[in-house]
Amino acid sequence: MSKFRLNRRAVLRGAGSIAIALPWLEIMEPERPAYGAVTPAQRFVGVFTPGGTVRAKYTPTGTETAPVLSPILSPLEPVKSNILIIDGLDMKSAVGEQHQAGIIALLTGTTQNNPPANGGLPGMNSYSKGPSVDQVIATRISAGKKAHASLQFAIRWATGKAHGLLSPINSLNFEDNAMFSPIPPRLDPVQIFTDLFGTLMPTPGSNAAALVARKKSILDYVDRHFATLSPRLGMADRLKIEQHLAKIREIEQSLTVVGNPTSTCKAPTQVDTSDYNPRTGLMSADDGSVLDTQTDAAIPKVGKYMMDMMIMSLACDMTAVTTLQWTDTEAKHTFPWIPLPQHHHFYQHDGGFQPVQCQQIYTWYSQQHLYLLQQMAAVDMGGHSLLDESVVFFGSELQEPPTHIKTNMPFMLAGGGGGLRTGRWVKYASLPHNNLLVSILNLFGDTRTTFGEAQYCTGPLTNIV
Amino acid sequence: MRMPSRQTPTRIRRFGPCGFSIALACLVGCSGTIGDKIVGGGSSGSGTGTGTGGTGTGTGGGPMLCTDQMVHAGRAPLRRLTRFEYNNTVRDVFGDTTNPAIAFPAEELGNGFGNDADALSVSSLLAEEYGSVAAGIAARATAPAQLAKLAPCATTVTAATEDACTRTIVESLVPTLWRRPIVEAETLDLIKLEQSMRPLVGATFPTSIAAVIEAVLQSPDFLYRIEWGVADVAQPSLKRVSGYEMATRLSYLFWGTTPDSTLLTAAKNGDLGTSQGVLARATQMLDDPRSHAVVRFFFDNLLPISGLTDLERDKMLFPTYTAQIGSYMHDETQRFLEYEIFEGPGTWPDAMTAAYTFVNGPLATFYGMTGVTGTTFVKVPVDATKRLGFLTQAGVMAGTTHSNTTNPVTRGSFVVQRLMCNTIPLPTGDILAMVKPPDPYSAPTARERYTLHKQQAVCATCHSQMDPVGFTLENFDPMGFWRTQENNVTIDASGSIPLTGQMVSGPVDLVQKLAAADATQFCFAKHWLDFGYGRTTGTGDECATAAVDIAFQRSGFNVKQMLLALTQTDEFLYYPGSP
Repeated sequence: MSKFRLNRRAVLRGAGSIAIALPWLEIMEPERPAYGAVTPAQRFVGVFTPGGTVRAKYTPTGTETAPVLSPILSPLEPVKSNILIIDGLDMKSAVGEQHQAGIIALLTGTTQNNPPANGGLPGMNSYSKGPSVDQVIATRISAGKKAHASLQFAIRWATGKAHGLLSPINSLNFEDNAMFSPIPPRLDPVQIFTDLFGTLMPTPGSNAAALVARKKSILDYVDRHFATLSPRLGMADRLKIEQHLAKIREIEQSLTVVGNPTSTCKAPTQVDTSDYNPRTGLMSADDGSVLDTQTDAAIPKVGKYMMDMMIMSLACDMTAVTTLQWTDTEAKHTFPWIPLPQHHHFYQHDGGFQPVQCQQIYTWYSQQHLYLLQQMAAVDMGGHSLLDESVVFFGSELQEPPTHIKTNMPFMLAGGGGGLRTGRWVKYASLPHNNLLVSILNLFGDTRTTFGEAQYCTGPLTNIV
Repeated sequence: MRMPSRQTPTRIRRFGPCGFSIALACLVGCSGTIGDKIVGGGSSGSGTGTGTGGTGTGTGGGPMLCTDQMVHAGRAPLRRLTRFEYNNTVRDVFGDTTNPAIAFPAEELGNGFGNDADALSVSSLLAEEYGSVAAGIAARATAPAQLAKLAPCATTVTAATEDACTRTIVESLVPTLWRRPIVEAETLDLIKLEQSMRPLVGATFPTSIAAVIEAVLQSPDFLYRIEWGVADVAQPSLKRVSGYEMATRLSYLFWGTTPDSTLLTAAKNGDLGTSQGVLARATQMLDDPRSHAVVRFFFDNLLPISGLTDLERDKMLFPTYTAQIGSYMHDETQRFLEYEIFEGPGTWPDAMTAAYTFVNGPLATFYGMTGVTGTTFVKVPVDATKRLGFLTQAGVMAGTTHSNTTNPVTRGSFVVQRLMCNTIPLPTGDILAMVKPPDPYSAPTARERYTLHKQQAVCATCHSQMDPVGFTLENFDPMGFWRTQENNVTIDASGSIPLTGQMVSGPVDLVQKLAAADATQFCFAKHWLDFGYGRTTGTGDECATAAVDIAFQRSGFNVKQMLLALTQTDEFLYYPGSP
């Protein structure tokens, strides 16, 4: 992608890490403030991939500071110095339905609520019991400061039992409010481009200021109507209206945030995604019998495009918090480009656990992570890269497909935000993964010592920074 | 004298220990059975009536707390237009057929129909898209060719007539969108909004009116079905659903869209103020073809058929299958149910056992039938020794199947959980760690492939409730074709319905016994209660449930009669709370 300005790291990488002449370093030096322990992380990126990994082909060898990457992680060799492989964490808070509890606990550290059909009370959601860590970070560093408190992206989403609805089986993010509502991700690349970058390329003849003023007047009217209605309602209804109003005010706020265009902030190159039906998953069947191989074939292209747009939303400072979901926990889509004609869940266990095919899938995901991290490293945020100021989290809802086991989870962090020490492989002795979540918060300057349900947290991890 | 019930009536034990209202008791063991006794059969509910009604006693005529002369208005949480309802509404008001609400994020799963008021929340994305979608609708509605439809004055407007024309548009448009008359202050507020647009660079009358439409479409009055209730004339201590609110309830229940002018007039005239008035109107609405879209939407969400339009199958195994066939299979089931309910006998047992279906030319060719050509669907008899009703239709069988091999668990689970409302918990990680899923190539028939479920006690607990049902449908291959052999081995399609303890000899026997089980009927009514009331009904809804079940049973399980009964419960007619 030639649109990004080369920064020092990219040059280093391209030129090889040793034979750099001194004058180059002198030029680069002043651009790089110390993103160390003293500076909290500025951006959070969460990446979800489904179905865990194949443990035997994932675990590195070597030592903490000199890990030798496994076959599945080997694509990440070029960015090895930027990643922190974290083993030995158990997702103890993942209590509930096998896949649902996994994705719900992943970023919330809470157990799954009973759905009403399983004895839960009507009116109770069947999702998390607390906010997801990305939303807590958004409250802290993004909400009210950026145009969007956070942005959620998903590729080939809702492929399984969800029946096209937002279900506990595919919800990764939960609001940092009283209801911990699940947050639907953005699915349609065309719509995402228009919503986020449309205004970067205003139509000729249109007046941006007039458009903003118009939008403000409309929202002011809408705001007043919600605000007038709210106090007249009973408590439960009032909560809903207040939540809606809070979202309207978020949009109003975003109109007052003046973008700060830099040379790094520009609309990503538009990609033709007419062969990709972003809502095809929404017609899904319980068992993955609904296949859309044309859309599946477009996943690599759309995935890169989504990552480009996600990175640009951060580079343009539209938000400080983003997450990317590679499909949902059931992952009932095919991989024609590998090529694997059956859906992911089939290789996981519907068709009997098939480790060779699963390894191919997870290795491909590592290649996508490489792209994400390299592109983030290539964005100059004023003397340091976007990756330098970020914390990137990679996780899944379980360790390995055949058993749905949730011990020794395949987690990984990347980036230099908050003084994160990367280029390492750390192993813990069966600690709860809530400890990692609280450590992530600490990287952002939040000094709390517990997160999620307290019985599943024993405090921040050591040896992270 | 009927009195308001001030608290939730004591839970009525309608079903056996594994009924949906007490599903928790069965979470561990999967060992419960569902009873088929219900209303009129001496329900065992007992408890204390509340309010001034005093203590009630069971009379054997249904849950006794529902005959205590009190009004059980239930709960009425604020409902929000679903994507389906939003699309229908803008189609009917603006003639906008672009289905713009597809841009909204999917609704929460909730009751399975996406309209569970308790589950719905508003994300930043949804709030944004409410704006973007409204902008699109407003732009289309104010395009030059459309402008005159808003009001003739819009095409000839001058500075002098601008306020007046805005008023004309507001007064005609907004009541249809907000489903109630608007007051002068609201009109003036919108005229003011239009005026505020005029100084902006590039503003024209259409763009200013578009702003008004955008605001109206993002208002809570449009997006939410706000209800306040009115004091009941006969009993001022009670609140009834007001006329306009009732028009809205009826319209979204039966037509999935905003009330039309006839319905709003009926509301204005007070025609919807009594249960008889509501029933009369509901009957007319159900007889109107507009009701078919809602029934179709219901079945698309209840049955595993909505995905058929995008179904792909292995070309090697099923060379004659195309995506178009999948779409036709979906239409077959929908056309069958539509005919059965609106033109046929119309009972749920008959929908499960009717010996006919609908095919068009391509589908007939695919099925190997002769004598049907063209794309129009025609009613044809089925071989009643092989298939009966909707369950055995190819689409439902294909929709409950993996791409290569049939899965009796999936099919059994669909029947037991979706058609009989018996919740079977998914295995926990501990159990999953102990068992290995069957290799699909390990044995010639499904029955053999899934023997471990029978042999291992830990599996058998739950699978004994699903697999024996699924086995009886093994005569249908992954495409829904009839077969007597799998991999050259004769299929044994015998099984059982664990919930009733009945042995079953094959698919026809299965559907006949399902059709005869009350649990199947009450489960169907429960889905309609959930969908119709926009909630997950359960505790606190015993009286409405019983009323609908009784009416359903008395009508011989006639679907239309049950739908009408939805409008005759206290929950539908009254509004919770005191004036």
